[in-house]
Amino acid sequence: MRNPLNRRLPRELKSESGKYIVIFIFVCGMIAIVSGFLVANDSMVTAYDEGFTKYNIEDGNFELGAKADDKLIEELEKQNLTIYENFYKEEKTGGFDSTLRIFINREKINRVCLMDGRFPESENEIAIDRMYADNNKLTTGEEIELGSKTLKISGLVALSDYSALYSSPSDLMFDASKFGVSVMTREGYDSINDKNLHYSYSFKYDNPPGDDEEAKKMSDDFIDVLSEKAIESMNYVTNYIPEYSNQAIIFTGDDLKGDNMAFTVFLYLVIAIIAFIFAIMTSNTITKEANVIGTLRASGYSRGELVRHYLTMPMIVVLIAAAVGNVLGYTCLKDYMADAYYGSYSLPTYVTLWNADAFIKTTAGPLILMFIINLAVLEDKLRLSPLKFIRRDLARKTKKKALHLNTKIPILHRFRIRVIFQNIPNYITIFTGVLLANVILLFGLGLDPLLTHYEHDITSNMICDYQYLLKAGQETKTDGAEKFCAGALDTVDIKHKSETASVYGIAADSRYIDIDFKDGVYITNAYSEKFGLHKGDTLKVKEKYSHDEYSFVIDGVYYYPSSIAIFMDQDKFNETFDNEDGYFNGYFTDNEITDIEDVYIASKITQDDFTKVSRQLEISMGNMMTLFVGFGVIMFVLIIYLLSKIIIEKNAQSISMTKILGYKASEIGGLYVLSTALVVAASLLITIPVCNVLMDKLITVAMSGYSGWLPYYVPFSVFVKMAALGLGSYAVVAALQYIKIGHISKSDALKNAE
Amino acid sequence: MFLEISKIKKHFGEGDSLVEVLKGIDIQIEKGEICVLLGPSGSGKSTLLNIIGGIDSADSGTISINGEKTEDMNEKALTLYRRKHLGFIFQMYNLIPNLNIKENVEVGAYLSDNPLDVDELLKTLGLYEHRHKLPNQLSGGQQQRTAIGRAIVKNPDILLCDEPTGALDYNTSKEILKLIEDVNHKYGNTVVMVTHNDAIKNMADRVIKLRDGMIRENIVNKKKTAAADLEW
Repeated sequence: MRNPLNRRLPRELKSESGKYIVIFIFVCGMIAIVSGFLVANDSMVTAYDEGFTKYNIEDGNFELGAKADDKLIEELEKQNLTIYENFYKEEKTGGFDSTLRIFINREKINRVCLMDGRFPESENEIAIDRMYADNNKLTTGEEIELGSKTLKISGLVALSDYSALYSSPSDLMFDASKFGVSVMTREGYDSINDKNLHYSYSFKYDNPPGDDEEAKKMSDDFIDVLSEKAIESMNYVTNYIPEYSNQAIIFTGDDLKGDNMAFTVFLYLVIAIIAFIFAIMTSNTITKEANVIGTLRASGYSRGELVRHYLTMPMIVVLIAAAVGNVLGYTCLKDYMADAYYGSYSLPTYVTLWNADAFIKTTAGPLILMFIINLAVLEDKLRLSPLKFIRRDLARKTKKKALHLNTKIPILHRFRIRVIFQNIPNYITIFTGVLLANVILLFGLGLDPLLTHYEHDITSNMICDYQYLLKAGQETKTDGAEKFCAGALDTVDIKHKSETASVYGIAADSRYIDIDFKDGVYITNAYSEKFGLHKGDTLKVKEKYSHDEYSFVIDGVYYYPSSIAIFMDQDKFNETFDNEDGYFNGYFTDNEITDIEDVYIASKITQDDFTKVSRQLEISMGNMMTLFVGFGVIMFVLIIYLLSKIIIEKNAQSISMTKILGYKASEIGGLYVLSTALVVAASLLITIPVCNVLMDKLITVAMSGYSGWLPYYVPFSVFVKMAALGLGSYAVVAALQYIKIGHISKSDALKNAE
Repeated sequence: MFLEISKIKKHFGEGDSLVEVLKGIDIQIEKGEICVLLGPSGSGKSTLLNIIGGIDSADSGTISINGEKTEDMNEKALTLYRRKHLGFIFQMYNLIPNLNIKENVEVGAYLSDNPLDVDELLKTLGLYEHRHKLPNQLSGGQQQRTAIGRAIVKNPDILLCDEPTGALDYNTSKEILKLIEDVNHKYGNTVVMVTHNDAIKNMADRVIKLRDGMIRENIVNKKKTAAADLEW
C-alpha cells in the first residue's frame, strides 16, 4: 500500500501554491542561469584549453632592440627550445581612435582562428580581431584606414595569443575598443611603415614543463641566458614574458575558471538560503501539525517515515526546478552566456559540450544541500517524543522565564518586541538574506560609480596631458615640455603577485610634480594602498629580467591614482641606474610635441591610456550590472515575502484573537507587519555598512591578483539607493501582508486552536 | 494474562516541585476486555495510559503485552510495538486536515500488514457517505468516528482511548461509546479507556479507580450496561 500521507503533497502544493511558485521560479531561474553559464563556460574553457595545442600557443615571447642575428637564435635554441619570428607593427587607425597591432599571418606558432570571412590574400587586405571589430562596429568587407593606407577587411579572426586584448603585459586591463590585433599577408605587412616595428620572438620548449613551478624555473633559466647572449650579440632585451604570466594569453582562462567557481558558490549560497526558508516553513508546519504528528507517532509511524514525508516537498520542488532550470539553461541561456564571453574576450569558435559537472553542480548539488539542511532541521525537530507533540509542548529546553519588559513601555510596543523575540530564527534568516541581497545590489549599483570615480580621479590627477617616452634623448622646443627619466622595475612583495612599477626621475624644480625630494623616494597612492606601504617604510623592487634588487626609503606618498609608480630625483635616478648625468628619456608636457620625429618616440601616453580600465570594465560588465540589481531586488522581495508570510501564518491564532478583542486591522498590522518592518530596517542599517566593508576587502583581495590598482569607492548615494530599494521592496511585501492579515478569519483561527 | 501492568511508578518535577504521579500500579487485563480507568484530574490515569501506549516512560515497573515487555525497548522497537499492537483515540481527534475521511482512515491501515477493509469499516462507522469530505466539513462526532476508524483499521490488540468523549455532547458521546463497544464486540480488541465520567464505568468489564497515583478500586463489572443505555 502506498503511504497515504503522500496524498497530502499535491493538496499542499495547491493550497500553498503562491509560496511554492515563488520558490520554484526563483530556484529554477537561478539554476537556469547557472547551468546555462556552466555549459557555456565549460565549453569555452575546453575550447580555450584545447587552443594551446590546436593553435600551438607559445611558451613565451621576448622582444629585442634589434633583429636577432642567426648566431643569437642558434645560441638560444641550444636551450632546448625553438624560436619563431613574430614581428609586429603598430599603426593608428583613421576615422576612429585606436591602435592596431599587425602580424604576418602565422602558420607555425600562435595560429589564428578564422571567425568570419577569409584570411587576407592580397597586399591590401587585413583580417582583424573579431571583438575589436565588434567594439568599433567594423564588419567583413568594409575598409579600414591604417596610417596612410586603406585596407579591406577580408575577415574577422581570433589570435590564439590575444584572447584578452592586452597591449602590454603591465596593463591593469585591456581595452578592446582602442587596441586590436590583426594579420596580413607578408607583402601587406611589408608595405606598412616600419616606424613602429617590434622585433618580437615567440619560443616553444622542446620538452614542455610539467607544472607551473617547472615552467617558472625554465623561464628564469632562459631569461638569464637570453639577457647574456643578447648583450654578447650587441643586442638587448626590451621585453620578456613567459606564457604563464602573459595576461593576453592567461587572463581569459583565469577569468573563465574563476567565474565558474564564483557562479557555483553564488548558486549554493542562494540554495542554502532557500533551504533555510524551506526548513523554517517545514518547522512551522510541524508546529501547526504537532498533535497530528503526535498521534501518527503514537499510532506507530516512525520518525524516519515522518522525516521523509516532510522532506519530500522541498526535494520535489527543487528537483522539478532543477530539471526545468537545466533545460532552460541548456537551451535558452547557454548562448546568451556564451555571447557575454564573446563580448569580453577574443575567444576562438567553440562547440557546446554537455558536461556532467554542470549537471551535478546545478542538480545534485542543490538537491544535496536542500536535503542536508532540511534533514538536519527535521531530525532535530522530530526528535521529540510523541507525547510532547500531542501536548504541543515543542520547547526543547525548559522554558526560560519570559523576558522582562519594563511596564512603562506601552503595551503595543511590548507586544511588538515579543513578536520579534518569538520569531528570531525567521528574522536571522531575513538578516542573512538581506545581507546577501545587499552584496548583490552593491555590486550591481556600485560598479558604475566606482568606475566613474576612478576615471574622474585619474583624469583630474594626471601629471600632464602628454607623457612622451623616447627611444633616444631628443630635444624639443615645445612650450612647457619638461624632461624626465623613466624606467620599470618589478615589485617585490610576498603577499602580492610581482608586477611592473614605473620609476620616474623627476627634475628638481618640476612644474608638473610638486615633490621636495630628500634621500628617499615617493610612491604613488596606488602603490601605497595596494601594497600597504607608507612613509618611512622601506620599498623593495627588483630589476626586470635579472635578480638585482633595490631598496629605497619611502619619504612620502604622492597622489597619482593611475599607476603603481615610484618618483625619485632625476639625479638620483641616473646615479641609481648607472646613467650619464643629464640623461633623460621622456617629456611631460601639456602641449603635443610636434618637433620630434615619430621614430624617436617609443610611446605617447594620454588620458585615454589611463582610462581604458574603466572603459573595458564598463563594456564587459555594464549589462551584467542591471542583471545583478534585478536579481538582488527579486531575492530581497522573495526572502522577506516568504518569511513575513510565515510569521503571519504562525501568529494567525493570535491575530484572530486580537480581531475578536476589537483591534482594528491597522493596529494588528502595526503589531505584526511593523515588527518585521523594524527588523528589515535594522537589517538594512546593519548590512549596508557590512556589505561596504565586505566589498572593500573583496576588491582588495581580487586586485592583489592583477596588475595595477582600482581603489574601492562607493558614493553615499549608492547606499541610499540600496536602502530605498530595500524599503521599497519591503513596502510591496508589507502591503501583501496587510491584505493577508485582513483575510485571517476569526472563526478559522479559533478552529485551528482546537 | 494479556496485558500486565506491574509496579509502575512515575514522577514529574524535581526537588520541592516533585510530584509522584503513579506510585506503584499493578493491573492485569484479559484479552477483549473493556477496561475503564476512572479518576479525577491529576490522578495519573492519562499518564498510565501513555505509559501503556509506549509514548511515555515509567520510572520503574513493567508493561507486558502477550509476554512482550516494553521497558527493554529502544525508540525503534517501541514504534514497532505501537504499530503492531496499539490504536490510539484522543479527546481531540487530531485528523490530518488536508486528507479526506477515507484517506485519514487509510493512514492507519497503512501501518498494518493485515488491515480491515476500509470501505466496510467506514460503513460500520456510518461515514461511508462522507468518505470524500475533509475533516473540517464534518461534525465533532463524525470526526471522532474517523479517529476511531483510523485507530481500529489496523485491527490493534489494544485500543487506548484518552477521554474519547471529552469534547462531545451527550448524544454524540453515547454514539461514540456505542461504537467503541461495537468494535470491541466485532473485532475483539482490548479497550483501555480513560475517563472522568463516572457513568461510563457501567459499560466496562473492568473498572479501575485511581486517586493520587494509586489504585483505589479494581472491580470486575459483572453487570455491564450497554453503551446505548448509559445515562449521566
